[in-house]
Amino acid sequence: MPDTDTMAGFGREALKSLVRREEDPFVEDLRRGAFGEFEALPVPSPETEEWRYTDLRRFDLSSFVAVDGDTVSRELDPEARAEIDRQGVVFEGIDEALRTHPELIRPHLHRNVPTARSRFTALHGAFRTGGTFVHVPDGVRVEVPLQAITSVERDGTAVFPHTIIVTGRDAELTFVERYRSPALEGVLSDAIVEIDAGRGSRVRYVAVQEWGAGVTHLAVQRATLAQDAELRSLGVAFGASLSRSEVESVLQGDGSSSEMLGVYFANGDQHFDHRSIQDHIGSLTSSDLLYKGALRDRSRTIYSGTVIIRQGAHKCNAYQTNRNVLLSEEARADSIPNLEILSNDPVRCGHAASVGPVDDDALFYIQSRGIPDAEAERLVVMGFFQEVLDRVSIPEVRGELERAIARELERGS
Amino acid sequence: MASTMEEVRVATLVIRGLRAEVEGKEILRGIDLEVPQGEVHAIMGPNGSGKSTLANVIMGRPGYVRTAGEIRFRGQDITGLKPDQRAQLGLFLAFQYPTEIPGVSVVNFLRSAYKAVKGEQISALAFRKRLKEKMTLLGIEDAMVARYVNQGFSGGEKKKNEVLQLAVLEPEIAILDETDSGLDIDSLKAVATGIQQLVGPQLGVLLITHYQRILNYITPDRIHVMMDGKIVLSAGPELAGELERKGYEGLRKELGLAPEPAEPA
Repeated sequence: MPDTDTMAGFGREALKSLVRREEDPFVEDLRRGAFGEFEALPVPSPETEEWRYTDLRRFDLSSFVAVDGDTVSRELDPEARAEIDRQGVVFEGIDEALRTHPELIRPHLHRNVPTARSRFTALHGAFRTGGTFVHVPDGVRVEVPLQAITSVERDGTAVFPHTIIVTGRDAELTFVERYRSPALEGVLSDAIVEIDAGRGSRVRYVAVQEWGAGVTHLAVQRATLAQDAELRSLGVAFGASLSRSEVESVLQGDGSSSEMLGVYFANGDQHFDHRSIQDHIGSLTSSDLLYKGALRDRSRTIYSGTVIIRQGAHKCNAYQTNRNVLLSEEARADSIPNLEILSNDPVRCGHAASVGPVDDDALFYIQSRGIPDAEAERLVVMGFFQEVLDRVSIPEVRGELERAIARELERGS
Repeated sequence: MASTMEEVRVATLVIRGLRAEVEGKEILRGIDLEVPQGEVHAIMGPNGSGKSTLANVIMGRPGYVRTAGEIRFRGQDITGLKPDQRAQLGLFLAFQYPTEIPGVSVVNFLRSAYKAVKGEQISALAFRKRLKEKMTLLGIEDAMVARYVNQGFSGGEKKKNEVLQLAVLEPEIAILDETDSGLDIDSLKAVATGIQQLVGPQLGVLLITHYQRILNYITPDRIHVMMDGKIVLSAGPELAGELERKGYEGLRKELGLAPEPAEPA
């Protein structure tokens, strides 16, 4: 784990100490601007549709101590490192990249996710240190999955994980992001992921959120796809006390496509708020979203997804499916689909949502074959997630997910 | 004429004075039935006579409430047992409407069931070999067992899958709930021939059917006719032909039973 320092609170003094040693006026301006936005922006109100289900009005920011330094580990075996260096791939910390490759990173830092987007993205812009920058040049295919692990080990800290992925024309990249910690008290993870997929490039992006209890995770992931670019993303949420994740694909270029998968398993008093946007701007674009979640104990999940087909986006395909299985009577899931179709072209566009307990008929069928009820439920829930797992194209990630779901299931029984 | 041997033999499945209701409505009104291992007993009757309810009550399906009488299996009262415990004792129910289990392959499902019923660990490889033997016996193609249980299966495939499970789990008594329904002639033949292969001294069968046609393939030792929640007549295999001629209504008149009660609107 890299060395880190801490700064108390999110006031002017804390900002000054960060800015004072900033060598780069670009970043200094960014921080000052973001801090102004942070002070000006209101705490998100549950009266707005966006924050209706997650009330942060009583969330006290003054108690946090921001981690100063990089909390991300980007280990890569030396052979793979040598190979991507040879290919001209940049895979390093954001602060490092701002010094070594300013021309590559600057246009992408807070481009997809502007600091002014919300009070939390502004806070992020002002106080972020660390994070990961990946740049894959035109025509380069990165064979091994690149991985970044953000970890926290101290109570009361705030981290600002940030990942920027830029792929050149026809480039290929697989990137796996992990958030990990033991159970902690009062930890904030204010995360941003920005993806710019160049023309014809193919990006696979996986985020596995396995924070310990006591962590509040607020994440925004936004990708912009150029012509014929393909993004296949998977978001996994198992941890944190409160986890809000906004995942957005902007299908800017004609012929671009985005698969958006999601898996979540909530238990105890966990609160998950998933929001997604499939924004079709280019013609012949397609998006397919499938989020599946299981809920146990008194957990609570919300899925709210919007499909937008812009005017002038011809012949688009868009699907959105969210399914929830309730493993206890106290758990509650809401699923809210929205379609905004502004194009009058022939468009294929659909959505499906469901919330319900494990099917009694399936349970009886399995039990009638001699399998006890706890195992019968485990089989049904594993099967429920299998539809998503079948679409996870990275074998290690698929295996790991299967084991993680099995662990979650054992924990409750 | 029953032999002395048969008289002393303890029936594997013994049902006495069984009454049961579903959603507060009494469906079974006193069933007496004995099915020894190694025999095939057919239960025939018109729609709504309670045949499927009997099957589900024997297996312990939630919502099927026994209100009186007993069900004994291998000498043990099973009415307090959960469905999986009944299966572990050697009971099997082939469903009239097999349930889909998305995301669970037939082979994995069957291996879990096998381990639960047989109480033994079996390697994936050893199990596949065993499964393959049964598939060959029943003429089931490899592709079927890799698919998710009953998902996207045709009517015939669903019933074949039930028979495959029966073959692998090797129960002492199998209840086949209208395994012949919803099948075209070819599928019926395939499924019935499969069952015929499995019938033998180790397996007792309670064959629930609406039609007589499956009895062209499987000759029952006894035929019981069920009407209005009771067994009204039991006889040898010749009863099938008689029923075919008279129809259930003819038999009802001959037995002096009240006409079929009209379904409440």
